[in-house]
Amino acid sequence: MTAVLDRPATVLPTRPLADRRPPLARLIGLEVRKSLSTRSGLALTAAAAVLPAGAVGLMMALHDSPPTAATMLALLGTLVSMLLIAVGVLATAGEWTHGTVQTTFLAVPRRGRVLAAKYAGLALLGAAISAVVVASTYGVATIGAGAGFSWTGAGAAAVATVGAGAALTVVGAGIGAAIGNAPAALTGTYLVLLVGMTVLDNARPTWGKHVDPLSAMFDLVEGDATARPIAVLAAWLLVTAVAGIAVTRRRAIS
Amino acid sequence: MITVTGLTKRYADSTVVDDVSFTLEPGTVTGFLGPNGAGKTTTMRMITGLVPPTAGEAKVCGRRWTDLPNPAAVAGTLLDAGAVHPGRTGRTHLAIMAATIGVPSRRVDDLLDTVGLGNAGRRRIGGYSLGMRQRLGIAAALLADPPVLILDEPANGLDPEGIRWMRELLRERADRGGTVLLSSHLLGEVEHTVDRLVVIGAGRVVADGPIGALLAGDGVRVRAVDAGALAGSLRAAGLTVSAEGPALTVAGATAEQVGRIAAAGGHVLTDLRPADRGLEDLFFQLTA
Repeated sequence: MTAVLDRPATVLPTRPLADRRPPLARLIGLEVRKSLSTRSGLALTAAAAVLPAGAVGLMMALHDSPPTAATMLALLGTLVSMLLIAVGVLATAGEWTHGTVQTTFLAVPRRGRVLAAKYAGLALLGAAISAVVVASTYGVATIGAGAGFSWTGAGAAAVATVGAGAALTVVGAGIGAAIGNAPAALTGTYLVLLVGMTVLDNARPTWGKHVDPLSAMFDLVEGDATARPIAVLAAWLLVTAVAGIAVTRRRAIS
Repeated sequence: MITVTGLTKRYADSTVVDDVSFTLEPGTVTGFLGPNGAGKTTTMRMITGLVPPTAGEAKVCGRRWTDLPNPAAVAGTLLDAGAVHPGRTGRTHLAIMAATIGVPSRRVDDLLDTVGLGNAGRRRIGGYSLGMRQRLGIAAALLADPPVLILDEPANGLDPEGIRWMRELLRERADRGGTVLLSSHLLGEVEHTVDRLVVIGAGRVVADGPIGALLAGDGVRVRAVDAGALAGSLRAAGLTVSAEGPALTVAGATAEQVGRIAAAGGHVLTDLRPADRGLEDLFFQLTA
């Protein structure tokens, strides 16, 4: 049953804005801005950028013969990637936890597009933070390096750190999108990465090398291997990103 | 314009919204009423693409929500004032939304002033009261000055001044040709604000029409200098009269009938009007 009421003479004009889909580049920039607009996001980003400098300083001060630049970066880059995973998880699961996903999908209802923008934005953010890690690690190492300090493989290690950092930030975003609850996603991720992978590495070391993303990043940055770590990281990236999109597209927003 | 056709939502063993249809024309404020769990919020979420319908469809300005290139420029929404990140400032929240839609950032400060949050815009939303969050949500809905507004319980937490402001805002939108869908439990507020009502009960539309027609009662209410004598004349004419204090309610009669009987009997009338029901009476009658 419907009833039509008298219409007034004036009708709000249809605005040109209504026909302009927000461009993907704008959405990507906004996702970076969102991640940096909260205290948790800023704190994680700042910690990821600043902590390596202190750690390298300590290593240089405490060791008579500190490890090579590549090994140092492998160690610190892998540790920082744990924070980058959290940045990714909070960017997606945090939206569900706080309910802001409603605002996001009301403005851009094509959820796959939103997640594509999130993944791209977080990859950029992860790469940028990793680049800062490289700069601070090498910067402090340069200042404290003695005559015997080895820079062998430092360039390749830097590239690997930036690439793996970007990939693992997106892995976190995929996990967060699939689980949709920040505490559960963070707890589950760290349980798998820290406990599950440790158990696997001890029980089946060969399997662990083919599954553990943090070991893969370490090996890649240190220069021990290339193809296997890249394949492991790519598999994690693909599975988590696709799972995140698949679940997000189906999940009702209550 | 909002067009809802056969909208249905079923979960495993229950039907939350059952074949709901209505059309909301530009220039109207429509009250969307129903008791808790009647399906109002689910219907609004299906209209806005947040919940996929089991059957039927909803269109806003001729398109499904998911087909709108820039939906927030077509329809402003306030579905849950709590759907904001508590760690962001109100200004940042609006600025992110404005950038998403493509609205100039200067509009953010204008709207914060408009909704009375000019001094609170740089504070974190976690420290906002419910009323302040509602105002922020209304500001967000108005960012693109859209022709359609969909508001779920927007008056919750607003003080009397805020409620009056919102009422004037909604009327002004409708007067400019906007379409407003307003869900609220504040029946008195709805009665003073809307042009028409859609009432939903147990997932189905139980009433849909202009508020005046829905509230119009069957009969007239009349007051006279000598109410007792008038009641006698009316009963003598075969009408059913009930007295509530000094006022008489004459069931099934028109104002003309009662006026003629009063004139014939020489009764002095002090009031004669249709016996309207209150919205509260109508609501409980329809949703009981």
